[in-house]
Amino acid sequence: MSTVYNWQLGREMEYPYDATYPNEQFAFVFNINRCIACQTCTMACKSTWTFSKGQEYMWWNNVETKPYGGYPHHWDVKLLDLLEKANPEGQIWNDQPLEKRAPYGRFGGKTVFDAAQQNLAPEGAQAALGYLPTDEEWSGPNKFEDNPLSEIKGKRGQFFPGGEQLPNHKTWFFYLQRLCNHCTYPACLAACPRKAIYKRREDGIVLIDQERCRGYRKCVEACPYKKPMYRGATRTSEKCIGCYPRIEGREPDTGGVPTQTRCMAGCIGQIRLQGLIELNPDGVWKENRANPLYYLVHVAKVALPLYPQFGTSPNGYYIPPRWVPRPYLRQMFGPGVDAAIERYTVPDRELLAVLQLFGKDERICARYEIQKGPKVFETTVRGKPFELYNDTIIGYSRKGQEIVRVTVEEPVHIRPDQHANSI
Amino acid sequence: MQLLYEEELVEGAVFLCANGRRSCIPPLQASRFSRSRERLYDIPDPDARNNAFFALHLKWFREWGLADLLAGVIREYPILDGALKTLSFRRAKARNEEGAELFVHPEEGRNGVVALRIERFERDADLLPFLLHELMHLSDMTDPAFGYSRDVPVRNPSQQQLVLGRYRLLWDITIDARLSSRTPKPTEPASRASSELKNRYETEFNRAYCFWDEARRREVFEALWNDAAPRHERLMSLAVDPRGAAAMNRPEPGGLCPLCGFSTFDWADGAAICSETAEAIRRQFPSWAVTQGACNRCVEVYEASQLEQPATLFL
Repeated sequence: MSTVYNWQLGREMEYPYDATYPNEQFAFVFNINRCIACQTCTMACKSTWTFSKGQEYMWWNNVETKPYGGYPHHWDVKLLDLLEKANPEGQIWNDQPLEKRAPYGRFGGKTVFDAAQQNLAPEGAQAALGYLPTDEEWSGPNKFEDNPLSEIKGKRGQFFPGGEQLPNHKTWFFYLQRLCNHCTYPACLAACPRKAIYKRREDGIVLIDQERCRGYRKCVEACPYKKPMYRGATRTSEKCIGCYPRIEGREPDTGGVPTQTRCMAGCIGQIRLQGLIELNPDGVWKENRANPLYYLVHVAKVALPLYPQFGTSPNGYYIPPRWVPRPYLRQMFGPGVDAAIERYTVPDRELLAVLQLFGKDERICARYEIQKGPKVFETTVRGKPFELYNDTIIGYSRKGQEIVRVTVEEPVHIRPDQHANSI
Repeated sequence: MQLLYEEELVEGAVFLCANGRRSCIPPLQASRFSRSRERLYDIPDPDARNNAFFALHLKWFREWGLADLLAGVIREYPILDGALKTLSFRRAKARNEEGAELFVHPEEGRNGVVALRIERFERDADLLPFLLHELMHLSDMTDPAFGYSRDVPVRNPSQQQLVLGRYRLLWDITIDARLSSRTPKPTEPASRASSELKNRYETEFNRAYCFWDEARRREVFEALWNDAAPRHERLMSLAVDPRGAAAMNRPEPGGLCPLCGFSTFDWADGAAICSETAEAIRRQFPSWAVTQGACNRCVEVYEASQLEQPATLFL
């Protein structure tokens, strides 16, 4: 075991390999508040990469309804349960943020790597605490779709009086969009007995070498997010490849610049923003305030990692849903949830502008600029003043070409009289 | 009878053994298996590679005693050997896909199929009772003394589902009762397990036959539980019409509507059925009389049919 620094946990931790970091890291931010679970992302991925024989149960990208849904079923509940058994009542955060190296405070509990050392699986010690889902758990990828959780039993044809009031709805569910997090410390990579899994130096995408894989399924067992999947037809495991040809700029339509993955580009709700992040030698993000992802994660701090306590340092970040009870969200996204929701609910001028970049162009936005516009509206939101400026945000590709120009106020188009009823 | 093992089941079961999820598999053997398996990935031809994988998996399926385990359970039912041409074991992906089926081909004879989840191979305590239960289904189906017939004496598809649900419960009760009584010298844990099983079935039975009084339920359940040689005909008669609704000549709660055949608690008031509606009903059910009653849903349909007018009126 080596000791590596995990900034999401604010501390060092054990990992089977020495720390090495890519030149840039594939990362993404999802705005949960805007997802309508149309599954366009799911099908964009499916129709591109997993439509062949033996991939019927393979959904590299999926959108599940929380709290009940999950693919494989109850993946997170099962892992949280394993961790709780490994460290009863010890999975806690000391929430004193220390800025960039520990923005969410310090996690005092056990990661999947820590807990694995005391957990002997039937065939011996695991590299990362995990379990192998059954066939049944891999069935029904959208089970429990739209199933809400409620404190009170509802009545047919009646709304809850006051149940919909923020900060927490009394009846709630939300959609969680999931794909491989291309973790900084991947558990799948740590567990592979064949060393068939590697992290690309150029962009940090985690891949399974199909020539080396011999179908031991240790990656499936170890990944806490359960994103590697076994394909019976080839007897190898497969996983999200981060649409790496697009990241390399090989998409013919986009002029040789890094392009967002199919699931990001296909999102009709414009909830997704993907990018590449430069890293310091210790794996902490290099300061780059003009990068929209850096801004959302480290400056505005509205985007949080999914289950950071697992310890793999996932590179997928989520703007948490405003209406969901906070204890649930704190467990899922860590202690930064309350501040993130406050900032998102009453966004400042810059955040509001950066949020406009989501889903506007399939090319990856490496840098943004804001041109200030006039104040067009002001009000108070839950007791706090809110001002709306019609700023213009401009996004640039890695080559410096302008790829996005959008105003905060959505333009209004008035249809001429002669076409009033036409589309 | 020929025993057939589906490739996916064998592969799954062997994988489970090699990963230490079934006890008593020596780690050295698991390593040997893994090394042999790894070499097969180098076979270039996909069909040849698949065949080689199946051969290897089947070899270890036998080596690790899984084939013998299944054969041992089958030997408990000697009737199957002569009655079936083949008995196949295949992998079920989910609990609701598990079970035994009998396929009868007029020329090729009878073939049995048992579907099971591979997780059952982790523990004999999960595997053996399941196999004993499912194979007894097959044994009953092939035993002339049981007199199995696939015909359900009800035509309405919804009712068929109800009847089959009840029949399945009754049959399961008799199967597990017979299996419980097989143990020659019951041990303390075995007796406790048998008693728990009986209680569970009794609860289920009481739920399915809640319209009977308690004394009758107890009497019928005990008769089923102690029946050493149940017969299909008797089970089906209990399942088809437990309320005796078919014999009722007047509307009773839970009785069958003579028009749609569904059980109903919502009978129409006979006095409120107008002569035009009764006439419309009699056009399709000539022997129907108002005293036989009809459910409100049917009456509503025939009332509505009075309002229908030929399309030609609108031309």
